[in-house]
Amino acid sequence: MKSERSRLLVLIAAVALVAAWQIPAFAYLKLGTKVGTRTVTLKWSQLPIRYFITDRGVSGVTSTQLQQAVQAAFATWDGVTTATVSSQFAGFTLANPTSGDGATVIGFQNRPDLDRTLGATSFMIDTVTGAIVESDIFFNSSFAWSVSAQGETGFFDLQSIALHEIGHLHGLAHSAMGETELRAGGRRVIAAEAVMFPVAFASGTILGRTLRADDIAGIGDIYPSASYTRETGSISGKVTKSGKGVLGAHVVAFDTRTQTLVGGFSLSDDGSFVIAGLSPGPHVLRVEPLDDGDVESFFDPTLNIDINFRPQFYEKVVVVPQGGGTSGVELKVVAK
Amino acid sequence: MRRLILIVILLVCAHEVRATVLLPAEFREIVAGSQVIVYGRVAAVRAEWSDDRTRIDTIVTVTAGSYLKGGPGGTVTFRVPGGQIGRYRNVVVGAPQFQAGEEAVLFLSASGGPSIAHVFGLSQGVFRVKVDAQRGTRLVVPPVLMAQGDGEVPQPVTRGDTTRRQLSLDQFAATVRQAMSSGRAQ
Repeated sequence: MKSERSRLLVLIAAVALVAAWQIPAFAYLKLGTKVGTRTVTLKWSQLPIRYFITDRGVSGVTSTQLQQAVQAAFATWDGVTTATVSSQFAGFTLANPTSGDGATVIGFQNRPDLDRTLGATSFMIDTVTGAIVESDIFFNSSFAWSVSAQGETGFFDLQSIALHEIGHLHGLAHSAMGETELRAGGRRVIAAEAVMFPVAFASGTILGRTLRADDIAGIGDIYPSASYTRETGSISGKVTKSGKGVLGAHVVAFDTRTQTLVGGFSLSDDGSFVIAGLSPGPHVLRVEPLDDGDVESFFDPTLNIDINFRPQFYEKVVVVPQGGGTSGVELKVVAK
Repeated sequence: MRRLILIVILLVCAHEVRATVLLPAEFREIVAGSQVIVYGRVAAVRAEWSDDRTRIDTIVTVTAGSYLKGGPGGTVTFRVPGGQIGRYRNVVVGAPQFQAGEEAVLFLSASGGPSIAHVFGLSQGVFRVKVDAQRGTRLVVPPVLMAQGDGEVPQPVTRGDTTRRQLSLDQFAATVRQAMSSGRAQ
């Protein structure tokens, strides 16, 4: 009876997954930096994060509107109850959003040499201590921007891009939780289940203003609140191919009750992975290679990321305990 | 147990990774938008302040092995954002990083910026060349994403697609030439 129920659960989950996986998946990752021979997570030791706004607008967006859009984006991250991040607008400045002044500055900058780059976040890091000295965000004024509440055809939504970049500023790297298509003119996002997906939505949409489960799990992982520790759980295990660990495999956990997706990567040579910040309850796991994009957008280029394997579902449903973890999962994949 | 898991996360999840918001190009656009396409080995990497001293850039010098577009010259020099001067490292999330001795096929552009070339699309114009330890051949990373036909019909990109594989250096060069021979990449 028990095994029948288990099989049924698997079937239900698999059916749900087939539907959900049309909007595929990946997971959050954290920014790190090398300190000596160690690699440590990039995170702010002092909160709130105090930021300045460059007092310079662009066509269609004043500096005041820029400040409001950035403040709204910060507020979205600050509003995550499972994280402790907070921010504070420190005022307008004439400084550019570049490094070297010790202040965190956000603003427009004309960088035609950074073609196809809507915005970027930079850090000045003390390599002795690993501390963040400052972090800046620039929005490339080579593009057309909008702060319209409904979005504006032909213009990129400033608040959406700010939300993504502020995720980096907090220490989140990219999520691969998205699906793209190829066409003349480049790759285009079909769907994204994470603000931290690196490919921008097409201009004219404001879909990027809302955090998803993957983003929320990620920010809670870096800045856990008491409720994060108390209310969420984790899954850990290994991804193996012919008995050896797979580095850089993407493991996605699908919550069959909430229909949300959160994931992680195998981040060591033995294929170990941990997906934290999960809602308690049954999850279905899937592993797939990061073979559809710019691996460097996710990993240090010196790592030998394995992208030569076929996607694979885990044969069992994994139940995540509240405030705890389920370990020992082994996802076995085969080469293409 | 929970504490142990969190410690493990901190230890394993903090790889040095990079990111930003990009508008990815189709491969033929990367080819068309690059004035120089060169396969070579990184000979030198040097960080310096920009002319206005507002940011750190890294000047990368590559010893050219072969040109697939543009050239000639024994070396090629280009600029990437970020770098380290003294104890302080400026990391521009999304910008490629290089070390001496690395091999790569580089798609370089000089349009829209300073006189020195830059990598097309921040990191989109970097294809690393790695030696396959088992076969001893050079493989290019990442796989090429090139639309079939003229690209007018959208084609979903599916992860784990068994037809998408890492190319050998020769196969990659042939793919670049194929892209150049098509209309958009002239």
